[in-house]
Amino acid sequence: MSQRYFEDIAPDEELEPLERLPTEDQAVEFFGRDNPTNPAFGDAEAGRRMGFGGALVPGLLKLSWIANYVGAWAGPGANLRSVRVAFRRPDIAGKPLTLAGRVVDKRREDGRNVVELEVVTLADGQPSVRGNVQVELPSRP
Amino acid sequence: MSDVQESRITDEHRAMIGRASDPIEVVPRTADARRMRELLGDADPRWADGTGVAPPYILAMLEPRLPEDLSPRVLSSGILTQTEWTFSRPIRLEEPLRAVTRLIDVRDRLGGRYGYSVLVMFQTAYLNAAGEEAAASLRTITQFDRPQS
Repeated sequence: MSQRYFEDIAPDEELEPLERLPTEDQAVEFFGRDNPTNPAFGDAEAGRRMGFGGALVPGLLKLSWIANYVGAWAGPGANLRSVRVAFRRPDIAGKPLTLAGRVVDKRREDGRNVVELEVVTLADGQPSVRGNVQVELPSRP
Repeated sequence: MSDVQESRITDEHRAMIGRASDPIEVVPRTADARRMRELLGDADPRWADGTGVAPPYILAMLEPRLPEDLSPRVLSSGILTQTEWTFSRPIRLEEPLRAVTRLIDVRDRLGGRYGYSVLVMFQTAYLNAAGEEAAASLRTITQFDRPQS
């Protein structure tokens, strides 16, 4: 896990896309097997009964993937300030998702190095989640 | 979703804005953090075993259900459409936090892609024993009328 430094970041810089394959088991395991939430998260039949094509991928799992994706890009010396996502359409377990992102701004704010990114999850090339993430990056030593 | 062109938000709904839940104690558990890290394949050393620090996405386990008595029922159905997490400092494992949820806004969305809908926004603050905020979440529920089948 390498460290990114504020001075080396340029607006429009793109993050390496990352593919994730959500499964029904992941959806259940994410919240813990003794902590059921939406029955459609771990049960394709329940998802179909609710009008979806199968088991739903929890929004909070996708949000966590986005936080993790940006955190891994930024490196261990960075601080995640905020992550905001809009859920645009449901995702179905078994269909791959691609995370992609780019830097949209960098600035000094109250003595801190703030970098803003836009991140999306793409299913069949269409955004299913759109996110904005703010991280603080260290200066190059 | 319906094609209403006038607000269905009443004064009674608006009067609920600002109301807060009673505090609920939530604890970021070490076992949850480890399970989630492994599931995500997260090798970040900041929240590895032994650091006592939770990964930021531990908030997914802490989010309290939205209290019924804080939720104005303007339209018949609702789904979570936006979430924002904000971090004031790292979250410590096994540190009890008080979660306080507040209704912060109710607003119309006229003429959207799916017709009339209502945005209901809740903020949950996670406070330590000294009352200092560790993190906060903002959740937006989009309410709509399910079409008659």
